[in-house]
Amino acid sequence: MDNGKRNSLKLMLGVGAMASTAGILTFPGSAQAQAPKRGGRVRAATSSSSTADTLDPAKGANGTDYTRQYMLYSGLTQLDASLAPQPALAEEIRNDKATTWTFKLRKGVKFHDGSPLTPADVVYSLNRHKDAATASKVKTVAEQFAEVKASGPNEVQVKLSGPNADLPVILAASHFLIVKDGTRDFATANGTGPFKLKEFKPGVRSVAVRNDGYWKPGQPYLDEVELIGIQDEPARVNALLSGDVQLVLQVDPRSTGRVNATPGYAVLETKSGLYTDLVMRQDAAPTSNPDFVMAMKYLIDREQAKNAVFRGFATVANDQPIPPSHRYYFAGLPQRPYDLDKAKFHLKKANVAGNVPIVATAAANGSIDMAVLMQQSAQKIGLNLSVNRVPADGYWSNHWMKHPLGFGNINPRTSADQLFTQFFKSDAPWNESGWKNEQFDQLVLAARAEPDDAKRKKMYGDMQVLIHEKCGIGIPVFISFLDGHSTKLKGLGSIPVGGFMGFMFAEHVWLDG
Amino acid sequence: MADKALAARLILNRLGVGVLTLLVVSAIIFTITSLLPGDAAEEALGQSATPETVAALRAQYGLDKPGPVRYANWLGGLVTGNLGQSFTASMPVSDLIATRLPKSLLLAAVTAVVSVPLALAIGILAAMGRGGALDRALSLATLSMVAVPEFLVATIAVLVFAVKLRWLPALSNAVDIKDAGQFFRTYAMPVLTLCFVVIAQMARMTRAAVLDQLSASYVEMAVLKGAKPARVALRHALPNAIGPIANAVALSLSYLLGGVVIVETIFNYPGIASLMVDAVTNRDMPVVQACAMVFCFAYLLLVLVADLVAILSNPRLRHR
Amino acid sequence: MSAIPVGLVRSGWRTATSLPIAGRVGLLFVVFWLAVAIFGPSIAPHDVGAVVSPDAFAPLTAAYPLGTDYLGRDMLSRILHAARFTVGLALVAALAASATGTTLALIAATAGGWIDEVMSRLMDAFISIPSKMLALVMVAAFGSSAGLLILTAALSYTPGAYRIARSLAVNVKTLEYVQAARARGERLAYVAGMEILPNMVNPMLADFGLRFVFVVLLLSGMSFLGLGVQPPDADLGSLVRENIGGLFEGAPAVVTPAIAIATLTVSVNLLIDAISGRATRVVEN
Repeated sequence: MDNGKRNSLKLMLGVGAMASTAGILTFPGSAQAQAPKRGGRVRAATSSSSTADTLDPAKGANGTDYTRQYMLYSGLTQLDASLAPQPALAEEIRNDKATTWTFKLRKGVKFHDGSPLTPADVVYSLNRHKDAATASKVKTVAEQFAEVKASGPNEVQVKLSGPNADLPVILAASHFLIVKDGTRDFATANGTGPFKLKEFKPGVRSVAVRNDGYWKPGQPYLDEVELIGIQDEPARVNALLSGDVQLVLQVDPRSTGRVNATPGYAVLETKSGLYTDLVMRQDAAPTSNPDFVMAMKYLIDREQAKNAVFRGFATVANDQPIPPSHRYYFAGLPQRPYDLDKAKFHLKKANVAGNVPIVATAAANGSIDMAVLMQQSAQKIGLNLSVNRVPADGYWSNHWMKHPLGFGNINPRTSADQLFTQFFKSDAPWNESGWKNEQFDQLVLAARAEPDDAKRKKMYGDMQVLIHEKCGIGIPVFISFLDGHSTKLKGLGSIPVGGFMGFMFAEHVWLDG
Repeated sequence: MADKALAARLILNRLGVGVLTLLVVSAIIFTITSLLPGDAAEEALGQSATPETVAALRAQYGLDKPGPVRYANWLGGLVTGNLGQSFTASMPVSDLIATRLPKSLLLAAVTAVVSVPLALAIGILAAMGRGGALDRALSLATLSMVAVPEFLVATIAVLVFAVKLRWLPALSNAVDIKDAGQFFRTYAMPVLTLCFVVIAQMARMTRAAVLDQLSASYVEMAVLKGAKPARVALRHALPNAIGPIANAVALSLSYLLGGVVIVETIFNYPGIASLMVDAVTNRDMPVVQACAMVFCFAYLLLVLVADLVAILSNPRLRHR
Repeated sequence: MSAIPVGLVRSGWRTATSLPIAGRVGLLFVVFWLAVAIFGPSIAPHDVGAVVSPDAFAPLTAAYPLGTDYLGRDMLSRILHAARFTVGLALVAALAASATGTTLALIAATAGGWIDEVMSRLMDAFISIPSKMLALVMVAAFGSSAGLLILTAALSYTPGAYRIARSLAVNVKTLEYVQAARARGERLAYVAGMEILPNMVNPMLADFGLRFVFVVLLLSGMSFLGLGVQPPDADLGSLVRENIGGLFEGAPAVVTPAIAIATLTVSVNLLIDAISGRATRVVEN
């Protein structure tokens, strides 16, 4: 029985979608009774735009980049509302022991310049991430592509360095969008995406027009999309409410009342796995002391963080990174409470004296407010925390993981394996707390290769317990995405990997009214 | 005759000195920004930085060379008119600046045209009515205007005129302006906000300088001779007060190029101040240097004009 | 021994009561804010960082006389603490800027020649660097302590004060009695201190008042860029910035710190106007 092949994908992903689905993907909550209308122009505003804006998928650094790139390019797979991969440019996906993957490409797909999509384009697009000169954001992820080659006139084969059942999910990321073979200069964008580039001024705006030859028939619905960045949140919300833009990203929780109260506008909440975590380095004092770590974990008032900082637009978390909506979430882990007595007990055992600085930044959303709240709680047990707010720019290179007590900010990852491998494994490039747990490392590798989904889920459950109990990371809440939009904009749903419908709104929405 | 010769000498002198000042500014900026933690390569890669990707990118940007070498290279390029390549935007710095500078100049010009006459009028009126109700009212008004933080003025203006009344757009991207009406609507709120900031200094300095002149003996003479107050103010006091006034105007106007990052951010106006702030954030050194040069050059020009005006208007200064 | 302080108090009182109404109002508010700056934190009902209410942007109530902020903290306590930062930082920085600028300008104006040229060019170089940019770079490079903020503000505004002081000094230098003093052979320092400076005092006082306002505004501009004193502390400008989300509903959280800034800066300038107006009259008499 070649159970290593065709059907194992279904088991691993738990979703039955293998055939290519054209047309509208169903999303809970969107008005499916209406038929989409063609035409219209939408202006959308994200929260950042600078001269670093890029048309190169490998360099995408923020929501604006991802949105722009999903408008112009397509990938081998695409995520749906439950974060399962759907076929996109890859019509069929087969795998052998999750190590050798074969992608059968959709026929008749054309780039914006008219040339056809060929395996060479896919091979080039995937391999270029490994080249240091590309300065790709996903170089470490691409390192597992041992070999990528065309295995047929319409087929690409990817051999991984080790089994990884999550490859289809990984390839749905905007960094892995497919570009034309040999493209080095991204002054313009030649992709297979739903829109063609009309204008690109980095730091000002991007404009794209409908690609009538898009491989999804009937889509996209909009004639034109303009993407701008408005850094100042009040200005962003005002732009929405004054009619200047129809869709905005990252509405502050405190502005939701105003948006919802204004007729013709609404806020869409998307619960996600985004979190801002307390990072306690295991290689520095006093955070290397496990009692101190426990004290800090008990000191986190999660309900207060959820209500005071995020005004309810968050989900209480349990010091482990898998959100309740994820299929591998282990519900049996008892919720750690906010317990001053236990915190005091552990603090005493840790015997920490003096002032402990806690580094926070605007780059990690909510961290400054959470640090201030922790400082208040700490005072109650006799611990002196002083908040050290540092500028957002340069945070990731100069402060993240460099102070005993600080904050990190991790965007949702669809693949639990990717999350654990990149952020929690002992040798992970971004092992924030610097913890080393052999059992955990072994579980990561074992789960990655495990074909039985139930067994896999159990392993991921064990990993969550390990992180909860032993890792130097405190995760207070999972933060929801808040998009503000005009009610004339229809078809906007949630794909919990980011706001703006996982940054893919452009091909799904239409204007009505 | 002597005036023209003096003016010409001043301009020549300032040209030479101006070049020196530009050099000094470039050295200061280079040194200060080299103190910043992190560099363009680390910024570009952000959370996904690893030692080897950072090293590769650094080599691409030429950041692996030592500081003085990079500075010398940049200076060499500057002399030949090549401002270098932006790290983050991968386009020539001159192109980047060429897209933003005209916008900044336009905003500054419109604001100047509105604010300078207004400030002068307010200052002179206040000085003429010294101590009276008008003086006090004007002082209070200008002071209150400058006291409110810029972002508050801008946000209130947007709430009132864009969100509630829908008379004006919330953003001033100013991309395709077809007629005067659209121009007005796009620029109204940014200019209003900036006026709040700059009018106060110019008006108050005008008032103080004119008042000073009004208390001088030659003015008493004119008044004794029977001259009317307005005539006294305009014909006698004002010309002698022009020096300090011109200086205050020059300072305020130079603010309008580099200090307007808040207005540019809130109204999404693609100007050069936010370009520089973004460049500092991204550690895009060539752009930071070039912007600093632009601001310095503009300031020197404004100050030169102010000094020329001061010298030509004050007879006693002509013999320096 | 006790006669001196009594004498000071008496002459101070005489000065105060002889001020015009606007000056007295200014004095009143200045004294008020100085008192708040000194005593505020000790009389604040709540800790500056304590979250006291589940409601953000609450209206004025008996429990929270100035409402609550975006996290649910008591605004009255926050403002009482913030005043100290605003008043303290701005006062010290503006004083430093005005004093340094005036001194350097006097030196340059009286010495003339190349000292004047070099100084003026150096100052020009610094003025042309936008103050927000300088602040951004300084804080990113050196961190966010109160001392650094004062230094940054002083560095930003000294050149401006210098420029204005110098143009005033140069103007004064050409007046007859100054030239007479020089002709008499008086020393430069004497000329600078006794002849030129007194005639510059009024516009420079007015300039100091504006410098003070500029520093207050620089601090709030910096809060827009995410810089400033460490949380949970804040200056008045940061309070406005962090609570700007309540502007639409007119929350006291954003209105009260704005009014605080306005009354503080306006009153300082009203007072200065009144004093300098008086000084002119005294000189004339």
